[in-house]
Amino acid sequence: MATENTPLTDRRPRYRLDLALLNRIERLSETQFVYFMLVPVLLLLGSMAIWPLLYTANLSLHADNVLSPDIVGGFVGLQNYVDLLTGEANPILRRPFFDLSRPFTSAVPVTILFTLGAVVVETILGFAMALVLDQRFRGRRFARVALILPWAVPIVIQGMIFYLMFQPSIGFAVGPLSDLGLISSSPLANSQDALLISILADIWKQSAFMALLILAGLQSIDRSLYEVAKVEGASRLQRFRTITFPLVLPALLVALLFRTIAALKVYGVVETVASCNTVPTVSCLVVTTWNAHRYGSAAAIAFLIAIAIGLLLLIYLVQFRGEEGGGLGI
Amino acid sequence: MAGSEETERNLVQRYAKQAIERPQSTYRVLLYVALAFFLIASLFPFYWLFVIALTPNRSIVDMGLLPKGFQPGVFIDVFEQIPFHIYMLNSVIIATLTTIIVLFVGSIAGYVFGRYDFPGRTPLLLVVLVISYFPGVAFLIPLFQLFTENIAFLGVHSPMLYNTPWSIVMPLSALTMPLIIFLLSTFYGQIPDGLEDAARIEGSTRIGALFRIIIPLSAPGFATAGILTFIIVYNEFFFSYLMVSGTAGEWAPVLHGIFQFQGSQQVAYDLMAAASIIGVVPVAILVMIAQDRIVSGLTQGALKE
Repeated sequence: MATENTPLTDRRPRYRLDLALLNRIERLSETQFVYFMLVPVLLLLGSMAIWPLLYTANLSLHADNVLSPDIVGGFVGLQNYVDLLTGEANPILRRPFFDLSRPFTSAVPVTILFTLGAVVVETILGFAMALVLDQRFRGRRFARVALILPWAVPIVIQGMIFYLMFQPSIGFAVGPLSDLGLISSSPLANSQDALLISILADIWKQSAFMALLILAGLQSIDRSLYEVAKVEGASRLQRFRTITFPLVLPALLVALLFRTIAALKVYGVVETVASCNTVPTVSCLVVTTWNAHRYGSAAAIAFLIAIAIGLLLLIYLVQFRGEEGGGLGI
Repeated sequence: MAGSEETERNLVQRYAKQAIERPQSTYRVLLYVALAFFLIASLFPFYWLFVIALTPNRSIVDMGLLPKGFQPGVFIDVFEQIPFHIYMLNSVIIATLTTIIVLFVGSIAGYVFGRYDFPGRTPLLLVVLVISYFPGVAFLIPLFQLFTENIAFLGVHSPMLYNTPWSIVMPLSALTMPLIIFLLSTFYGQIPDGLEDAARIEGSTRIGALFRIIIPLSAPGFATAGILTFIIVYNEFFFSYLMVSGTAGEWAPVLHGIFQFQGSQQVAYDLMAAASIIGVVPVAILVMIAQDRIVSGLTQGALKE
């Protein structure tokens, strides 16, 4: 009721201004109105995402300039990309970009191994987890909370957990596993073992996400299909092959796409569990190259991952767009 | 010898017979075995943090599966050794600011994408979608330049945002925006057109209808979007790590707090584990009280996209 106490003269002009603005908006055509409403989001995405992408693309076409105050040197066209892909740039980088003779310490092989290892195991475990959660049993709600808890753990803490498990002389796992010859006695300093531990950490955190998406697919299946199959005498395996799997496939593919793209960008786990030096993923290499003030090369590497991810998306869109609205709802 | 082998075979046979006659019970056993495996696998790491936290640092060698000692005081030490509460507060403020921005901007965009069909809608949605997939490193260099006064536009230098919450809030707002737009546009899209039309006939403006009809009706979607944004930002690593220098007074979030215990002379493993447990608490609480929203939000957002 405070407004009633304010003098009328104070209130009127502002009210009119608001009204004028509202009227103005009301008179816009629908398309004009829509674009007017999109101004904030376009400003935010434009300045924080699209402009930086274009800037990175432009940087990647310039030479590195380590010494002078300008961040990059002259325009060199695609030279940075050529140097990276042919291996000429390897000596100037902290770790080689692509060197098959050192698969565990060069960026592209490490990233591909990480992605393959993590995504394959997460899919299998996620599918199994989803099948379990799809059943009726007592305490299912509790089980679901317990299973999605790892997904909600901050990346740094996820990394810390696995660091504390595999730190030699602390971690209970190091002794027995190195006695079996599976890992070395200081696994976090060994590139191959540290990669394996990072993959394990990713599986621990992300399998539940995979499971949730697959579970959503499972629960959208019409249960009467199973009744029909049962009447027709189909075995459990046959029911899985002919009903469950094909009907879950769209959700499974979306989950796969999500996890693959996220795994290709991996940075935080690796940096916390071991270090970017021990497990140099592509994102790690961008950061170390940027820290060495080689902006042109860093931008080129960053853009190469962006291109790889873009290609993956394009393949997915072209391949699966027709089905069920493309699974993308647009 | 032969006798025991005989009974063993009998046992196996009996079990096999039972399994064939009542397959349901076998699947039940299988289900519980799998469930137990998954529960242990996802909860054991948390237990391990407690083991390390409760063991005094000097005793942390050749650890078994049980703590060697009991020092509950470690959870207070964490705050005495470094201002860990400031790091926590910074994280919470950063995540809250991002959530507010994302909800405000995202709800307008979600409303437009969910309820209007306009020229350019599909290409715009595609751009929004693609942005969410690009790696953080592709934005890193320009944003760092921008936030350290190194970009000039029309002769005006960009403001110094390095070591402020905005250097993390702004990029993360943009990068979580796509998920939230997709989530909210589905919610808005489900509201019957009739309600909005009725309001418009009653003389409400388009914006009036948005605030009086649409937003109140999509409160559940709003809550889901807010919780998801908060968790995603609180858990984020890349920008949170690189966009601040790492001291508590300069807006460094929790992850820098945890790294503080990795001292140069000696690593305080017990404090590191205790800090990790404390750092998980806010998100663990959110998951426990809002698991249904989180699950539906994650699956809808992802499958819609």
